[in-house]
Amino acid sequence: MAYYGQQQRQGPPGPDQNFLMGVFSRIDKDRSGSISGSELGQALSNGTWTPFNPETVRLMIGMFDRDNSGTINFQEFSSLWKYVTDWQNCFRGYDRDNSGSIDKNELKTALTSFGYRLSDRFYDVLVRKFDRLGRGTVAFDDFIQCCIVLQTLTQSFRNYDTDQDGWIQIGYEQFLTLVFSIKS
Amino acid sequence: MAYNYGPPQGGYPGQPGGYPQQGGYPGQGYPPQQGGGAGGFAPPTMGAPVDPQIAAWFQAVDQDRSGKITVFELQRALTNANYSQFNAETCRLMIGMFDRDMSGTIDINEFQALYKYIDQWKGVFERFDGNRSGFIDCNELRNAYASMGYNLSPQFAQMVTYKFDIQARRALTLDMFIQSCVMLKGLTDSFKQRDPQMRGQITLGYEDFMTMAVFNKA
Repeated sequence: MAYYGQQQRQGPPGPDQNFLMGVFSRIDKDRSGSISGSELGQALSNGTWTPFNPETVRLMIGMFDRDNSGTINFQEFSSLWKYVTDWQNCFRGYDRDNSGSIDKNELKTALTSFGYRLSDRFYDVLVRKFDRLGRGTVAFDDFIQCCIVLQTLTQSFRNYDTDQDGWIQIGYEQFLTLVFSIKS
Repeated sequence: MAYNYGPPQGGYPGQPGGYPQQGGYPGQGYPPQQGGGAGGFAPPTMGAPVDPQIAAWFQAVDQDRSGKITVFELQRALTNANYSQFNAETCRLMIGMFDRDMSGTIDINEFQALYKYIDQWKGVFERFDGNRSGFIDCNELRNAYASMGYNLSPQFAQMVTYKFDIQARRALTLDMFIQSCVMLKGLTDSFKQRDPQMRGQITLGYEDFMTMAVFNKA
């Protein structure tokens, strides 16, 4: 069904382990064998030399931290690296002028290609929400966060939408719980 | 196909509703709708004369004297009990409550309205932070919500505490408490608009749901 964003997960095999190990140990500044949120935030480049926004970092740690340690070990880091690289390639494809951020129309094109069918008005809300720098555009880290949020919300909606007709019946506290739970 | 329908019925941004104290709404716990009672959140009147004290505060916060307050200016002005700055998300959400023209800033009248909310929420926080630790735990949180008319389950308060606890203390600081209140208020207002008969149950389309969630979430 087409309203659900389908992110491709297949692709060529990732970079080799030695390369990744080098990256990992550069990020792991305190040599603890695992990467903390702040280490990750410093290491991920936004294309603008500003650290990643902490919400995106928290979301990503939440996604890849399989053992719930609150940090990322090398194994988890390999998956995370591939994930960010995939996003980067995807983002670059839509960021035509290489400015490091995309505008409303580019965002719409990107998300439409993932399978979302949403109105122009919705994209106004979306850009406003994820435009942290107040420039009317969405930067790479905020773009990732935006996509994860949409995907999570859509999945939650789908869980309620048992007959998949795009409509749900929902009670007040269920509704609150659904939206509050998305918080990273 | 239903996923593809027109824009959601809207108009909810920033319309502060009146929350009377103690919403006696059996069973499903959201505050009734009628205007603000004493101590409740009365709808602020736009264009009302600005309180001189608030005007002085506004001038102090508006550091570049632009006549508008940005998220960063607001963030610099607000502190938690331990003197840490408010987090940026909370400030963004607060500005978003009143920022009608989506400029990312608010003017003095909007600030006056926002100030009333901050003041109310701060008062509630202090009342329920029994031991003055600067944190409220999930039981205190549930009671704090109930005092504002939101009768929500212990499970809900627990989930919010878990999700909003960024310092791993199993409790919320003032800024995170306010963040949860802004979300609660925004989501409740949106829900109520779609539930004119107050049944506590609504039918929601996909895009409408997405808009409500994205707009109101931190």
